[in-house]
Amino acid sequence: MRSSFLRYCRDIANGLGTAQRERLAALTCIEERELENIFGLLLLGSFVGIPAPPTFLAVELLPFMEKELRVLHQRAEDAPDMLAEMMGILGVDG
Amino acid sequence: MRILFYTGKGGVGKSTMAAAAAWQLSQRHRVLIVSLDPAHNLGDLFGVDLRGKRKRFRDNLYLEEVDLKKLARAYLKREVTVLSETYHYLQVLNLDSYFSVLQYSPGIEEYALLTSIEKTIREDSRFDYILFDTPPTGLTLRFLALPQVTLTWIERLTAIRRQILKKRHTIQKIRGTADAEGKHKEIVLQYREDDDDILKRLKSLHADYVALNGILQGPRCGVVLVFNPDLLSLRESERLVEGLGELKLPLRLLIQNKVAADNGATADRTARVLRGKVAPGVPLQRVALRQSLPEEDTAGLFSLPEDLTEHLAFTDGADV
Repeated sequence: MRSSFLRYCRDIANGLGTAQRERLAALTCIEERELENIFGLLLLGSFVGIPAPPTFLAVELLPFMEKELRVLHQRAEDAPDMLAEMMGILGVDG
Repeated sequence: MRILFYTGKGGVGKSTMAAAAAWQLSQRHRVLIVSLDPAHNLGDLFGVDLRGKRKRFRDNLYLEEVDLKKLARAYLKREVTVLSETYHYLQVLNLDSYFSVLQYSPGIEEYALLTSIEKTIREDSRFDYILFDTPPTGLTLRFLALPQVTLTWIERLTAIRRQILKKRHTIQKIRGTADAEGKHKEIVLQYREDDDDILKRLKSLHADYVALNGILQGPRCGVVLVFNPDLLSLRESERLVEGLGELKLPLRLLIQNKVAADNGATADRTARVLRGKVAPGVPLQRVALRQSLPEEDTAGLFSLPEDLTEHLAFTDGADV
């Protein structure tokens, strides 16, 4: 009985710790994703009319850009709903 | 080894001057002359068919015409191979056909040119002189500027990449290495600088371009500017001199071609204007206009009476 109560308390403490870490990581995640988006845009921006580096540089790095391409795609999809995005970042759940 | 680029407006006689200098140099040195101009006439000058192959014209003289289309295709093919190696879990059938359109995108041609120059300089160190006959001014300046433009881009991209990796590292430290969900993902994220393919590629590109830039701006390399005694050629040469100055590429020699008795005054004036634009100490050489050119024998096209080699041994003592 006593040990299960202690375990229960420990689980709660662990849960709180995890949640706290998640909260911290989430913001860094968003920053990281944005940076990846910028990296992708800079390198592959010629496709959407942004001044681009020499084409061959884009071609040279293209084989390793899968993640960035996915992020770009996702960002393009999310673009119309910027309000939701901002609320998400600020942690407003309504 | 010394590397010389013959530049100037179209039709001023770049190819002829380069060919004549190569011919004269080959009496005493091992010489390679490479035409980078898509409208080749090196083969015509020496009366040989150079399509796609390097040829030995005489003991010490080798000729080559660069096939830009072939280079661009080879380059793209290499990229497609890397692509299919990286995404081995994807079906990359017939990807080349999609990529073939890239050879028409701006920049690929200049890049192909630059790659061919770099390859020649790297692989053909047995020659004492490598002479490049360049395409008209615009394209020449663009590909000569390419290493520096590219370096700027690479440095910016590297900085962003480093930031991304730093963030990933932070996230990894907070959350621990790939969680259960992450393990199923096809993309394995790289956290460390040594593991990241993009950063590795950027670093190796950076090293390549720094080396190439060093060679182009170095004491073993130089630009020879050919111009005619007329206003149009003067104006374009002035722009070229400015462009070379911005790129910090060393101008070694001015050649005024097609000088005759009746254009002597213009020749003096244009030479004076251009000399005012270039750094002091750059020699000027005059080559006379020949009224009659041989129709049958090509030897007369490249063996000129003027000594075009006297200024080509740079005085910096940078002989290798």
